[in-house]
Amino acid sequence: MDLTPNEDQIAIQTATANWCRDKLPLSHLRERNGDIWDDLFAMGWLNMTTEAGGLDHGTEAIAFAELGRHISPISMISTAAAARWFGVETRVSLAIETENGLRIFDPAPSGVAVGLSQGKLSLWQYPETLAGTEGLDQSVAFAKLPRTPADTISDDPRAALHLQLLAADFSVGCADAAKDMATEYAKIREQFGRPIGWFQGIKHPCADMAVRCAAARSQLYYAACALHENSIDAALHVRIAKRLSSDAASENSRMNIQVHGGFGLTDEAYAHLPLKRAHLLRFIAPVTTAELLKAA
Amino acid sequence: MDIGFSKEEELFRQQCRDWLQSNVPAEKRPLHATDALEFDKAWQGKLFAAGWAGINWPTEYGGRGLSILQQVIWLEEYAMAQAPWVGANFVGVNHGGPTLIFNASEEQKNDHLPRILKGESIWCQGFSEPGAGSDLAGISTKAHVEGNELVVNGSKIWTSFAHVADWQELLIRTEEDSQRHKGLSWVICDMHSPGITIEPIKKMSGQVEFAQVFYDDVRIPIENVVGGMGNGWRVAMSTLGFERGTGFIADQVKQSQEIDALISTARDNAMIDDGEIAGQLAQMRAEVAALRAMTYRNISEVIRTGQPGPEASVIRLFTSELGQRLQHMAITLMGDRILDFQYGDNDDVQAYLRGYASTIAGGSSQVQRDIIGERLLGLPKSR
Repeated sequence: MDLTPNEDQIAIQTATANWCRDKLPLSHLRERNGDIWDDLFAMGWLNMTTEAGGLDHGTEAIAFAELGRHISPISMISTAAAARWFGVETRVSLAIETENGLRIFDPAPSGVAVGLSQGKLSLWQYPETLAGTEGLDQSVAFAKLPRTPADTISDDPRAALHLQLLAADFSVGCADAAKDMATEYAKIREQFGRPIGWFQGIKHPCADMAVRCAAARSQLYYAACALHENSIDAALHVRIAKRLSSDAASENSRMNIQVHGGFGLTDEAYAHLPLKRAHLLRFIAPVTTAELLKAA
Repeated sequence: MDIGFSKEEELFRQQCRDWLQSNVPAEKRPLHATDALEFDKAWQGKLFAAGWAGINWPTEYGGRGLSILQQVIWLEEYAMAQAPWVGANFVGVNHGGPTLIFNASEEQKNDHLPRILKGESIWCQGFSEPGAGSDLAGISTKAHVEGNELVVNGSKIWTSFAHVADWQELLIRTEEDSQRHKGLSWVICDMHSPGITIEPIKKMSGQVEFAQVFYDDVRIPIENVVGGMGNGWRVAMSTLGFERGTGFIADQVKQSQEIDALISTARDNAMIDDGEIAGQLAQMRAEVAALRAMTYRNISEVIRTGQPGPEASVIRLFTSELGQRLQHMAITLMGDRILDFQYGDNDDVQAYLRGYASTIAGGSSQVQRDIIGERLLGLPKSR
């Protein structure tokens, strides 16, 4: 039993964090374009758990949490899941199916999207010419299609859990981003003659953000190990990881805006970016109360 | 990263399980400290005789000297078997004893540690005062030196098991006019000394477990100072890491049993059809799982580096607040039967009322949040 990253995993975490810091700064979030994908493939993140990649879900979780911290392209998670379960080697859009239709996030030249349909990992093909428009999460364009049956469905229950875990990875990163943004701001913003982080009215909500991050990340690691080992309670642990990380992302990103005060209300500051990403993450492989109440 | 245990560890787990299965007492631990004393001592003695006391204590003082993971396994099995709370032995086994292991002289260790493990001597803690609660460094109970003795005057409060204890870990001001963390000493106090008056305090649950202690010219041999005169603050803080490593594992296993029982109760009485209750139960099941993962992660950090990780302070806060919400759900599911509670009842209502202590005792949740904000996040110190 060991729930801390080993040396190789720490090296991957550091390399990922450094790369994101240089290539994916939040200041340029809205100028990002498809050119980044050659680099994303070259860095090896998108096929970590395929046979060729040979890595486990824990290592993938560590890397994807760092990517999630920088609000990386949302279709990285559909691309990684598609590589593992459908053998697709190109950029794959993320599909979110609801009663209102099928949303294709990050429409790509491949014309392929992956998401959940009736609890299973599913693949849709769509016209390659499909163009997206900006939505709530301004890091990604999306297009809305009428609800259509998927073209290919994976019956392996681990496939759906993998997508859910990847969404949890990104959520943990998003929660971390909001926490770090809020605490760094609380150290430099002064009111009443001192940094606002001195006051318990700011300090304690920041502490609560750290608590949510610690709980979500620990559960993420546990769930990643459980899925890798295909243990009997893997599904429950992945669902719990998704629920807690998604809640952490939502609550931390809301509190981050409060800590930023008036600046948090603006388009120019970055505080709204994790909030909008958190709203998107909630709709990716969401977890119901009934699922959490079921015995493992 | 992995979540499996080795063959040897699984074998050890089976040994724990087998022994507990045939030795956990059938009767419930009595409610009040005085009534429970013989029960607590007998159970600790039984643990010691069978080799289950001081799993991680050094062998030269009667411990087993086993690994942290074996300790984790023992504590998990202990809680799973619904073995009794250590009760009056809590301070000796979980706090005073470990403090002695880290700081005391060989003589002091040989004198006290084996007796603690055997359940022969009961310890209590003398830290908080009427004027020094969250602000522990505001201690004013003081001592001056006369010959080879310290002469102590003042008062301690919220002292659990004071009225049944033989010894006390007593934190007092031994340098006149010293301020805050300086000039304090950690002293082994004989609770049967002349000049000590103990006034038990009844809790809002009806339970009599803690007390106020008054010191009127109480004489303590100077050789009872642990870790050197004036080093009391450092000595008192040295076991915090110990507590944060494995101190809450039994609580956590208990919480995981509790949430399963609560879900099953709510199904039986159909209160689970209330969406709000179902949502809270689901949330708590998720948090119980996360707490276990957090603890495993922290223990992994201790094994890897010898130190708990910076997030260890989170575990204490999380455990105590989650525990309270579980207790509150238990009485919610009772419906109007909560109104029938009377002092002396040893049920879910008693546990719920008693549970208000968990976010106050040993560092309030507010202080915990200060610690997380300042030490983990690096926000400016406000105290």
